Amino acid sequence: MKGFREVAPGKKSLKKDYVAIMMWFMGRAIQAAAAADKAVRNEFAGLPDGFTFALSVMPRGPHMIVGKDKMGSIRYWGWEPEGKRINLMMKIKNIEAAILLFTFQEGTATAAARDRLIVDGEVAHACAIVRILDIVEVYLLPKILARLAVKRYPDWSLRRRYLGRAVVYLRTVFGF
Amino acid sequence: MHMAECNEFISPVKINSGNKALEHIPCELDALDARKPLVIAERGAAAKYRIDVLIEAFKDSGITIGIFDEVPPLPSLLLIKELFGIYRDRGFDAIIAMGGGSAADTAKVLNIAVSGRPEDIDRCVGEDLIEKHLKPLIIVPGLSGTGYEMSRYAFFDSRSYASPFLVPHLAVIDPRTAIPEDVLTTSASTLLGLTHAVEAYISYGKNLLARAYAYAAIQLTIENLVKVIANPEDSKGCVALANAQALAGCTFSNVKAGIAHGLGNAVAKEMGLPPGVCMGVLLPYILEKRMSECSHDLGELFLPLAGFDTYAETANELRPKRAVDIIHDLIGDLARATGGSVPQSLKDAQVPRQVLPEIARRADYVGLDMEGAVSVLEGAWRGR
Repeated sequence: MKGFREVAPGKKSLKKDYVAIMMWFMGRAIQAAAAADKAVRNEFAGLPDGFTFALSVMPRGPHMIVGKDKMGSIRYWGWEPEGKRINLMMKIKNIEAAILLFTFQEGTATAAARDRLIVDGEVAHACAIVRILDIVEVYLLPKILARLAVKRYPDWSLRRRYLGRAVVYLRTVFGF
Repeated sequence: MHMAECNEFISPVKINSGNKALEHIPCELDALDARKPLVIAERGAAAKYRIDVLIEAFKDSGITIGIFDEVPPLPSLLLIKELFGIYRDRGFDAIIAMGGGSAADTAKVLNIAVSGRPEDIDRCVGEDLIEKHLKPLIIVPGLSGTGYEMSRYAFFDSRSYASPFLVPHLAVIDPRTAIPEDVLTTSASTLLGLTHAVEAYISYGKNLLARAYAYAAIQLTIENLVKVIANPEDSKGCVALANAQALAGCTFSNVKAGIAHGLGNAVAKEMGLPPGVCMGVLLPYILEKRMSECSHDLGELFLPLAGFDTYAETANELRPKRAVDIIHDLIGDLARATGGSVPQSLKDAQVPRQVLPEIARRADYVGLDMEGAVSVLEGAWRGR
């Protein structure tokens, strides 16, 4: 029929790759911060044993999976959710919403308020994860960017802000 | 606030509005259990631009979409028959209407056919004859529709359909697609929404929830209409106007059509003018006519029209008249901003004075006698 066509819209490979890299770095940074920062450790301590959460972009990734191992340590479990028991799934509805989040045009709280996230699991656990993400973002980002990402930029001691940041960065890069 | 003893309100539509709202559609389709939508759009460059934006928004979703972008301004049932064949043969399971007007009406009527049988298009003409939920329908309204896109009504090939099942499941208002195509159509659709909202606000039923929607629609229209006409690049203003039209449509689905709607439609039919423009021109004169019986409601109407500060500064007894003055001023500002495309009076709209009694006789409305209707039309003809 004239005027009719079927279209299979393509992919956004560059954006997906960018988000995948950011999620990889973020996952390792959460592992690092859990070892280096007391507040992050306390938040994870309030979560059940063996707790695992995934941050994913719909419909098919990228993903970031972080959870507690058998010893209670926080580990970054990679980007493949298949075969893993996920207690909390936080899904970003589309790659553009993920780009807004990972280019800090919208903070996590703003993205949630704008209905860009779906939470599949306990809301209390999701809130704890968002607090952890906020702390990690303050470690990773310069103040000018972190202020965009988090709801309220915290007032940390100089030791925590500079020494803590150096330790988290080292642990993230070298993976210990 | 006075509230009716019995209230009924239905607004099943979900509204996604704002930056990157189009990108939410694949996720919303999944929630509606749909995987392959058919997109319907009018002919024209503006529609093609919107389609390109939609295709971009669907990237990475894994969803194949069908696109038909040749809907004429006055489509026929033959088009529905052809689209029905495509929908069924290609396995589509949802409809997305891009823009308003004939695209939205075609989508609604097609939805009746594909949700049942093609014969339902004939059987369901009229009021509340659709018996069950229809397949997922998403509307991506622009600013240049008819103003009925979000409502329970569809008008197709001189037929009228009315049913709560015709209300779309989802409306998506995105700054990239809420763009004004021309000043007259934008003004007409917004004035139609304003008329519906104002008449809902002062309607006999005192429907509390309809009033809440109407309040927001009125406020958004007053704050943004003239600004957007003067500066079509104002994307925040455009989104606000699109939201105003959407809210007014939701309101209109819950109240009976008022006098301005009936008389405005009659003038539009007689003279071939946009109905929204006629309703907007007539509205302040009808409110003046009804001042004595609904001065309290007009006083309350002053709040969304003028804002909190002006409302608080204005004495109670002056508020009804000032409310009507604001609407007069809006039409005047619109006439100047559009260079006369929106008339300030029926005389400016080239309506011959001698046809006014005939228009009053043919119009479909309640709440005003023939003599009152003629005097309203005469007042609107003379202007201020």
